[in-house]
Amino acid sequence: MAPYDHRLSGAPAAAVRISGLTRSFGDRTVLDRVDLTIGRGEFTALLGRSGSGKSTLLRAVAGLDHSTVGTGEILVPERVSLVFQDARLLPWLRILDNVVLGLPGKDARERGRVALDEVRLGNRGSAWPHELSGGEQQRAALARSLVSEPELLLADEPFGALDALTRIRMHRLLRRLYETHRPAVLLVTHDVDEAVTLADRVLVLDNGDFVQDLRIDLPAGRDPGDPRFQHYRTTLLGALGALTDHRTKEPT
Amino acid sequence: MTFDLSARTGGGTTATATKEAPPTTDTLVPALQRRLGRGKSIPFGRLLGPLVLIALWWVASAAGWLDPRKLSSPASVLTSAQELWSSGRLQDSVQTSLTRALLGLLIGVAAGVVLALASGLSRTGDAFVDGTLQVKRSIPNLALLPLLILWLGIGETMKVVVIALGVLVSVYINTHAALVSIDARYVELAEAQRLSRWQFLRKVVLPAALPGFFTGLRLAVTAAWLGLIVVEQINATSGIGYMMFQAQQYAQSGIILVGLVLYGTFGFASDALVRLVEGRVLSWRRTITA
Repeated sequence: MAPYDHRLSGAPAAAVRISGLTRSFGDRTVLDRVDLTIGRGEFTALLGRSGSGKSTLLRAVAGLDHSTVGTGEILVPERVSLVFQDARLLPWLRILDNVVLGLPGKDARERGRVALDEVRLGNRGSAWPHELSGGEQQRAALARSLVSEPELLLADEPFGALDALTRIRMHRLLRRLYETHRPAVLLVTHDVDEAVTLADRVLVLDNGDFVQDLRIDLPAGRDPGDPRFQHYRTTLLGALGALTDHRTKEPT
Repeated sequence: MTFDLSARTGGGTTATATKEAPPTTDTLVPALQRRLGRGKSIPFGRLLGPLVLIALWWVASAAGWLDPRKLSSPASVLTSAQELWSSGRLQDSVQTSLTRALLGLLIGVAAGVVLALASGLSRTGDAFVDGTLQVKRSIPNLALLPLLILWLGIGETMKVVVIALGVLVSVYINTHAALVSIDARYVELAEAQRLSRWQFLRKVVLPAALPGFFTGLRLAVTAAWLGLIVVEQINATSGIGYMMFQAQQYAQSGIILVGLVLYGTFGFASDALVRLVEGRVLSWRRTITA
């Protein structure tokens, strides 16, 4: 595979530029001088064992870690959206009102309806969140994150709470939405198959820095049975230390 | 390896199966139904208790078990009410009392909400308001009466202020508690969606605090009636309480009971009204009562 082209700082095509990012909790350094550039419209997955700092990195990029001690510089585009692991819909707002939460403009509701159509929830706009299934709620959350046409979409294990069948459908939906809107994506996951299915570039985080930066060069409609898929899978599992026992350090 | 394992497991299973065959049962039991909820709601169910009480009273009076000088029969209470109505005293008393209670309630709720917002939304407000209100909470309204009478006299102002003070505390405590205990996940969402301070207030904070406000409002309505009864026993010259006080002096237990029934009815009706509004406003909530 072709080595990934790290864009130089100052290149106009970057959607995220992180330099020297350090984050610690107490005396444990979770991120240690991390540098990362994500190109515009690039679908990147961030893999790591639990406690590897992948969520810390995402929260730093999302600007949700005010109370964390750390240094470093993060540059992001103007329009950033975030998808949480839980759908996080406000229970007192109907689905459409949830989707357009914070969306400016007079045509906000119309755009909200279009976004709901895109995730095939066009007829559920006036439902309460608790009337939707878990998968539907997460689709509504996806609509909410895409309605603002973000240049960068951050997702923190967005399908972690869904059942396997729903997750496969959500993978297709997310990939389709990505093809349509072309935001840069930073998807945090612990699922290697999810990363290889969805992303064009997979990073593995361990002990505070990246140990793998892999370009996934597979055609659309990726098949887990494809030998090349298996190859990527094995490489990533190796980087995660899942195939050997030499990593005895317990995740904390 | 796998083969060996399955072979061994199979052998083991056969052995136990022949030794102790589980008792076969072909009786089916009904599938689980909801057992831990509170069952279906009974229409007008909350009226049942009071109606049974009135029926018992009626029966006891008719059977002659009750001394009419101590407790009049329902029939003579109705007669008393009729007489009071035709003389116009009933309407006047009810109007006076309702005006006091309603004014006190409105002022108290407004003040309670404003203070709760002031202390729930800003640290400065919290520093000034919350401690003061907690001190006020620990002083019963009755203990404040001498001072309030000294300041405001025994007129309507004093009466309304006493009622409002009781209402204020209930509304404040519950609304404030709801405001400061908003789920941190929703705050995160608001930041991720780049809500302005005003949008955050309107879409997240206030709706999240509404259930607490309604709990406070229901307690406040009770507090308003309680305050009303207290102030109408003190130097009042009008109202339901005054009517009852006079009846006590002339040993007219029928009129006293008319007053009690009125207080009970107003209390019950106002609580039902608040519940109704609460149900409408908080229709997004799914609780065990649903």
